Amino acid sequence: MALSGMRGLSVFISDIRNCQNKEQERLRVDKELGNIRTRFKNEKGLTPYEKKKYVWKMLYIYMLGYDVDFGHMEAVSLISAPKYPEKQVGYIVTSCLLNENYDFLRMAINTVRNDIIGRNETFQCLALTMVGNIGGKEFAESLAPDVQKLLISSSCRPLVRKKAALCLLRLYRKNPDVVNVDGWSDRMSQLLDERDLGVLTSVMSLFVALVSNHTEAYWNCLPKCVKILERLARNQDILQEYTYYGIPSPWLQVKTMRALQYFPTVEDPSTRRALFEVLQRILMGTDVVKNVNKNNASHAVLFEALALVMHLDAEKEMMSQCVALLGKFIAVREPNIRYLGLENMTRMLLVTDVQDIIKRHQAQIITSLKDPDISIRRRALDLLYGMCDVTNAKDIVEELLQYLSTADFAMREELALKAAILAEKFAPDLSWYVDVILQLIDKAGDFVSDDIWYRVVQFVTNNEDLQPYAAAKAREYLDKPALHETMVKVSAYILGEYSHLLARRPSCSPKEIFAIINEKLPTVSMPTVAILLSTYAKILMHTQPPDPELQEQIWAIFKKYESYIDVEIQQRAVEYFALSRKGAALMDVLAEMPKFPERQSALLKKAEDAEVDTAEQSAIKLRSQQQTSNALVVTDQRPVNGSLPVNQLGLVRMPSQNMEASSHDQGLTKENGTVSTVDPASTQSADILGDLLGPLAIEGPPAAAVSAEQNMVPGLEATPDAAGALALATVGDQSNSVQPIVNIAERFHALCLKDSGVLYEDPYIQIGIKAEWRAHHGRLVLFLGNKNTSPLMSVRALILPPTHLKMELSLVPETIPPRAQVQCPLEVMNLRASRDVAVLDFSYKFGTAMASVKLRLPAVLNKFLQPISLPAEEFFLQWKALSGPPLKLQEVVRGVKPMSLPEMANLFASLHLGVTPALDTNPNNLVACTTFYSESTRAMLCLIRVETDPSDRTQLRITIASGDPTLTFELKEFIKEYLIMMPASTPAAAAAAPAPAAAPLQPQSPITPAGYNDPGAMLAGLL
Amino acid sequence: MPVAASAIYFLNLRGDVLINRLYRDDVGGNMVDAFRMHIMQTKELGTCPVRQIGGCSFLYMRISNVYIVIVVSSNANVACAFKFVCEAVALFKSYFGGAFDEDAIRNNFVLIYELLDEIMDFGYPQNLSPEILKLYITQEGVRSPFSSKPSEKPVPNATLQVTGAVGWRREGLVYKKNEVFLDIVESVNLLMSSKGSVLRCDVTGKILMKCFLSGMPDLKLGLNDKIGLEKESQLKSRPAKSGKTIELDDVTFHQCVNLTRFNSEKTVSFVPPDGEFELMKYRITEGVNLPFRVLPTIKELGRTRMEVNVKVKSVFGAKMFALGVVVKVPVPKQTAKASFQVTSGRAKYNASIDCLVWKIRKFPGQTEATMSAEVELISTMAEKKPWTRPPIQMEFQVPMFTASGLRVRFLKVWEKSGYNTVEWVRYITKAGSYEIRC
Repeated sequence: MALSGMRGLSVFISDIRNCQNKEQERLRVDKELGNIRTRFKNEKGLTPYEKKKYVWKMLYIYMLGYDVDFGHMEAVSLISAPKYPEKQVGYIVTSCLLNENYDFLRMAINTVRNDIIGRNETFQCLALTMVGNIGGKEFAESLAPDVQKLLISSSCRPLVRKKAALCLLRLYRKNPDVVNVDGWSDRMSQLLDERDLGVLTSVMSLFVALVSNHTEAYWNCLPKCVKILERLARNQDILQEYTYYGIPSPWLQVKTMRALQYFPTVEDPSTRRALFEVLQRILMGTDVVKNVNKNNASHAVLFEALALVMHLDAEKEMMSQCVALLGKFIAVREPNIRYLGLENMTRMLLVTDVQDIIKRHQAQIITSLKDPDISIRRRALDLLYGMCDVTNAKDIVEELLQYLSTADFAMREELALKAAILAEKFAPDLSWYVDVILQLIDKAGDFVSDDIWYRVVQFVTNNEDLQPYAAAKAREYLDKPALHETMVKVSAYILGEYSHLLARRPSCSPKEIFAIINEKLPTVSMPTVAILLSTYAKILMHTQPPDPELQEQIWAIFKKYESYIDVEIQQRAVEYFALSRKGAALMDVLAEMPKFPERQSALLKKAEDAEVDTAEQSAIKLRSQQQTSNALVVTDQRPVNGSLPVNQLGLVRMPSQNMEASSHDQGLTKENGTVSTVDPASTQSADILGDLLGPLAIEGPPAAAVSAEQNMVPGLEATPDAAGALALATVGDQSNSVQPIVNIAERFHALCLKDSGVLYEDPYIQIGIKAEWRAHHGRLVLFLGNKNTSPLMSVRALILPPTHLKMELSLVPETIPPRAQVQCPLEVMNLRASRDVAVLDFSYKFGTAMASVKLRLPAVLNKFLQPISLPAEEFFLQWKALSGPPLKLQEVVRGVKPMSLPEMANLFASLHLGVTPALDTNPNNLVACTTFYSESTRAMLCLIRVETDPSDRTQLRITIASGDPTLTFELKEFIKEYLIMMPASTPAAAAAAPAPAAAPLQPQSPITPAGYNDPGAMLAGLL
Repeated sequence: MPVAASAIYFLNLRGDVLINRLYRDDVGGNMVDAFRMHIMQTKELGTCPVRQIGGCSFLYMRISNVYIVIVVSSNANVACAFKFVCEAVALFKSYFGGAFDEDAIRNNFVLIYELLDEIMDFGYPQNLSPEILKLYITQEGVRSPFSSKPSEKPVPNATLQVTGAVGWRREGLVYKKNEVFLDIVESVNLLMSSKGSVLRCDVTGKILMKCFLSGMPDLKLGLNDKIGLEKESQLKSRPAKSGKTIELDDVTFHQCVNLTRFNSEKTVSFVPPDGEFELMKYRITEGVNLPFRVLPTIKELGRTRMEVNVKVKSVFGAKMFALGVVVKVPVPKQTAKASFQVTSGRAKYNASIDCLVWKIRKFPGQTEATMSAEVELISTMAEKKPWTRPPIQMEFQVPMFTASGLRVRFLKVWEKSGYNTVEWVRYITKAGSYEIRC
């Protein structure tokens, strides 16, 4: 290359290579950078040769890992040099040193365009390569037509067209609008006729990107793809140089098959036949050979073919052939191949009905569970988990349990969870299920999450036949030495509830049971102590007639824990003690727990979530998700005897006597001089619920749950707070059959302060928003995510913009396919300052249910603000220049939410007001500057000064100045709103307020966080 | 005494092991790989001299182009370990004739092994005194027992030496000319604000001696330090002489100094080892005479230009002069070029250290010199961070000047035979970290 001619460069490189250590190298580099800076500074004396040389040096230094933050201008300017060597340096260095975010790359667009439309092929190639590497949105807008022209021109050499295709791919990724969907499908189909394989491979990359976004538009290309496959795999009609280890262009084959997977089906019978013939050939013709490279290539093709076969729902015969092939793979010694075999089998399982065939390999898979390679073990576990059904559940779970004691620690948790899920899903009888879970806890207690034992308790509670068995089992386990704490919890709970059912058996008298449980008390942690206390109370209650000795013992324990450090335990001890002295009333208060409402298992949900998290947006995955969720729905319909509706959740069986008891009790406490109205009975029940149900109660609107729990507060008054929280939720009509599961007002206020998040969510749909703001323009993207497995119909979204905003919503599709997410961009332009809010009128139909909501869109005043910081002198100049109303307004605001100055500064920062510290000498004052953008005012400086009174935080004086009277007024009102209500905390407080009232014993009610966290997680999964 | 080392390694800058010695078997031989991987090849190097990796502590220090790494696995005495390394380096230097670097190590493998065996036993430091070790670890050829010529010198009795009362001096030394050289070497550390107020200032000094004296002489040194003078006037019951007295902080003496006499009479009396040694070290924080004043003005003119003006004044006696004065004025990293005007010396821009370096070979007292430079900066793509303005650094040496004002009042030599001695006294002040903020 031209390098040989540059002595300076080669001397520099050899200097660097001769450096003994890093330090010397750094010194040499710094010296050279200094030299380059000096040379670049006297621009006049720089010949093109020198410039080229120094830019090469810069690149070399950059490649060594040093920061090169100057001289980019020189590199870019070399692009316009007339000679090849200089131009080449320019292009190469620019594409290495810069990226699309550099503003001044824009200056190069014209030069690049000239090179692209010029006649010189090498220049075209250089330009296309650079754009293909660092081209951004602006490049896309200005260059796409020219690049397209190059791609379809017949006069260009394949070399150029190859690069043009890849360049267009980059531009398309940066800005999908550059490729016009309608016009391009015909061209694409022509391009796919290309004979030159190089061009075809590049075009296929482009095609995959295009088709993944707009499958419908490219139907006409489908036969072409099949033709290409035929040409490659059957006819092998290609040049020698495009074969790799005898395989005709594996890359193109893989890409073509990937593209085919984006089409839902292949309908045309002849095409389908041809395609299957090709696939058959690939499946048959692949084997494991010695050469690693050949293996890699042929397996890449094979696995893509398998994916395609799965996608196309091929005939059973072909499927079994695939499975047979995979079965061969998992028996191979080579770990990579075995891994792939297992993984693909798992995928296959999710999509098609081949379980029976796969079951033949069960032994082999179980062997893989003992493989030295952990990733293979994991795959095997996944596969076993996937292939499990009622017929082989017993074997597989048994196998997993056995394996658990020897398994890797890294895997145990997953293993335990999966075993628990399988046991639950496919339990032939419930006693087996209880056995399995108890074994699980016994063997791997540390790895069993709370959800698992909660679930057991649920089952036992809901199935009366099971109760004695479970109690007996629990009793058995308690005899074992060195019991895991989880086992103590579950045994204590079950024995507390049902030990009376064992009364006649040997060594199961309440006393004995109490003794054996009490043995564990000193060694367990606080949450377990709490459960043990409940158990004692229950044992006491079940011991009829009362046994004074036992009573004494238990009371002693309660007494002891009355002054325990943990408040929760303290309260339990006090309350149980008081309750247990009531005699007969105790029976009612501490009655057996009611049946749990039937709900989806938290475990299954957990597993499902994990799957969604890792899901790619590929066609196969999408389908597989549907499949699994269907499976879950089916398995969840377990026969139950009389389940309770959700909103009675957690009510203790509370006969009328109880009311008397509680009122009596209330009177008692009042006599004692306390004003507390907390009813021990209800708190206790809420509390046990907290233990057991809280983490499970993910379904159902949290607000409803909260209000239901609130009803249990003595007096059973309906609390207006909870209702209020709900009423806030919808702006428009209340006649909706669908209730939102997020607090809409809160979401709106949160989104006013940030740019992305969930705007609305109900059981069927989730609407997320992502916004970008630039001066007075804004671009919001609405993400409409269908959460269900059936489509949402007649989706309609209408924007009702206020007068000061110009809004354009792109077309919203009529239906949203199942489990899919649709993006609707919304362009916003701000005309002038106003506090009015745009409203989105959104409606859809799910089955027969019609839902419609009016949602406020977070395109509010502060989104058009841009914080700036002014130096003091300039600030005061402006401040003085804007004097008196209407440009400068002052107001004393009272009833402000008290907050410290840093808090207020934070609030201002989130409102895009740039707080400038130390501008005002008084430390109690806050000064902020910001720029407001709108079409009428353009950029307008706004100055804000807040004077607070340190002795009275609820009032302050605010002064606002700007060059526009409306803006001043609106901004003042806007800030005032935030100062007075502080929406960021209000809804949270409203939501949080009922929670402590409902469950006073449980500081963090798990229900609320679960409800609120969930949408976030969902959105994250969907995005 | 606690263990100081389980193993010691000498590595070059690339991380290759030059030489190593395992003293205890509680660390594996490959532990040094961990050092190379986790310290040398990362940016950790130079941040902290003690690192813990995989249950072992690595104590390391760099001497010229060699890393000396001590590996310990127990709870070692770190200060002892570092002192050991310093002393060992001093020992090697005295054996190799002053230089200690990679080449010196490569040329003296056998000797180093011999010394390493001697100076530490099972992780416990032993005698590191060059004078003693040179008695029995010699670099001379081995005399064959069958050699006809009997040895001229009697074989020195090392055991007696080490266990004797004056372990640091050999008996029976004879010099034709009895001479004592005494150097007071001080280095000034200064941090000055841009407005000229002193933020931090101290002097660390040491008194180096070189003795070529016969027999077992007893020496007595008198300085113009405060305690000594007061004590003297007390003893002689006459008022202290008016004049400058110096308050010395943190004085440490060589082991030869008789501490009981120092405590009772406040005089430094000692039987010196033969040859070169460091008699005492001290520190002074009050009443420091600064040899130079620096007045910088640095103006940033827009984004691409800077003006630097530095005036340096020498404030020591007019008859004295400073040597090797170097003023380093930091400039931003994006400096492209600089043009200078200097009244004396020579200035240039050094890109590797991002400084304008102004060198003056000889700087007479009570004079001043100025440098004015115009610096051009190049515009960069990186976000413009305000320049941090690191301090100006200065290097110099001023012979016959002490920043503390310390003077030798007398140096008396007493020996049984009562020979005459010649005493030479020198003073020199160097720059430690002499920094002026700008």
